[in-house]
Amino acid sequence: MKYIILTYASQQDYDGLAGKASGKSAWSAQDFAALRAFMDKFNKDLEESGELVETRGLAAPVHTRRVGGGLHKGVPVVTDGPYAETQEVLAGYWVVECESFDRATEIAAGLGKAPGPEHVAARAFADVRPIAEFQADTEL
Amino acid sequence: MPDIELEDLLRGLAPQVLGAVVRHYGHFDTAEDAVQEALLAAATQWPKDGIPDNPRGWLITVASRRLTDLLRSEQARQRREDTVARWTLPGQLLAPAADRTPAESDDTLILLFMCCHPSLSPASQIALTLRAVGGLTTAEIARAFLVPEATMTRRISRAKQRIKDSGIPFRIPPGPERAERLGAVLHVLYLIFNEGYASTSGPTLQRTELSAEAVRLARMVHRLLPDDGEVAGLLALMLLTDARRPARTGPDGDLIPMAEQDRNLWNAAYIAEGVALITDALPRGATGPYQLQAAIAAVHGEAPTAEATDWPQIMALYGLLMRISDNPMVALNQAVAVAMVRGARAGLDLLAELEADERIAEDHRLHAVRAHLLEMTGDRVAAHDCYEAAARRTTSLPQQRYLHARAARLTE
Repeated sequence: MKYIILTYASQQDYDGLAGKASGKSAWSAQDFAALRAFMDKFNKDLEESGELVETRGLAAPVHTRRVGGGLHKGVPVVTDGPYAETQEVLAGYWVVECESFDRATEIAAGLGKAPGPEHVAARAFADVRPIAEFQADTEL
Repeated sequence: MPDIELEDLLRGLAPQVLGAVVRHYGHFDTAEDAVQEALLAAATQWPKDGIPDNPRGWLITVASRRLTDLLRSEQARQRREDTVARWTLPGQLLAPAADRTPAESDDTLILLFMCCHPSLSPASQIALTLRAVGGLTTAEIARAFLVPEATMTRRISRAKQRIKDSGIPFRIPPGPERAERLGAVLHVLYLIFNEGYASTSGPTLQRTELSAEAVRLARMVHRLLPDDGEVAGLLALMLLTDARRPARTGPDGDLIPMAEQDRNLWNAAYIAEGVALITDALPRGATGPYQLQAAIAAVHGEAPTAEATDWPQIMALYGLLMRISDNPMVALNQAVAVAMVRGARAGLDLLAELEADERIAEDHRLHAVRAHLLEMTGDRVAAHDCYEAAARRTTSLPQQRYLHARAARLTE
């Protein structure tokens, strides 16, 4: 069974990670290095257990283009950076293939050990959702 | 024999074995699968039973047998599907005539030409080259490119199908086509190198292995074509670039620009080898883009300090490169060289011309260079804004951190 683990962050969180001081304190070089080391190991462990299908981190919300939400002169409207500064949006995902929902939850819980400034850790969460599967043999 | 040595041996033999099997029996697509299975068999059996006296022969025999099995079952399936079975099985073939067995070095080259065929997309060319010539497994390639194994499997089998459908003959392309196709091969090796070198995302280890693999393949092509200046140039460029890798990032993974790198960390052996290669290749006529880029990298590599860099020579080399390549990145680097020789203002004037080029106008590198040059002129406010503008335009976190740090320095 496949599950997707989703993590979230706001533009403000991204700015902090990118070393840009905007209200909240920017991540230090050590904090950033510690997070990278943690993520490298987290991914490597999943790869070695054979459970990792794919993982990606998304670029900052400001780079988003929203397509749709109405037509302008007959073509869908394209909006650059539709999110508010503090709005939490999808930041990254892991697709894992594992034996149970509980195991996927356990994997996601491991992300809670990621190092980082306290104000980030206090709010961080991940969602785990099963991926719908369509099996050819379900026809009776 | 240690695992690493066995792996090196097998991967070195992989293109020779595949070349021999395809030359004798055809069926590139199925032969490729058969050779992978033979390599796998060797990797499990040889550590137990010892390396056979003739490892290459062993692999060819096992791969040929496997190819026969695969073709038989394909043929049987085809027959079941009521199609005319028109293949000749390897066992039914006569021994190939003497004139059909040129040097095995040609086989490896032909394989490279096939894998980098212009009808394939760059992503497919890269994947197929790494598997058929590099001897990497699909799983390894998938990991290096951060895609699911199933995706890479499909990419490779589609590429093989395409080669099969196009009926490309297993031979060195004739005349002028050969030079063009060699250019495609070099470009693919260059892309593989860059994929490993330039990327700062994802599990870092496997990415660097891609650069190492590109260097290994370039060495192989250089061995096969020692007189080709562009092949030597590409290998030199890779070595001279890779030499700086240890100094490119700080202990916390932060990016360090060349001017601030600790040159003691540069790989002196790679620099010496790269300089020797390019020094030998340059006087031998027709100077292509890889040789010029390698020559530029060699000038940097030979400078004991950033201040001692021979910028006039670098500027002249970029001038030559501009004449044969219409690449805005070359023009951007030329502007840096001009700034170092004639002053930041002269560099900024060149940048102003580049801003009209929409291929690069929105590129973060253009803004980063402008920020550096403005900083050199002492315009701290404008430099700060340009660093921030550059940071907004890149999606790479380490680059953003570097650019924000440069900007922050200017407001202190």
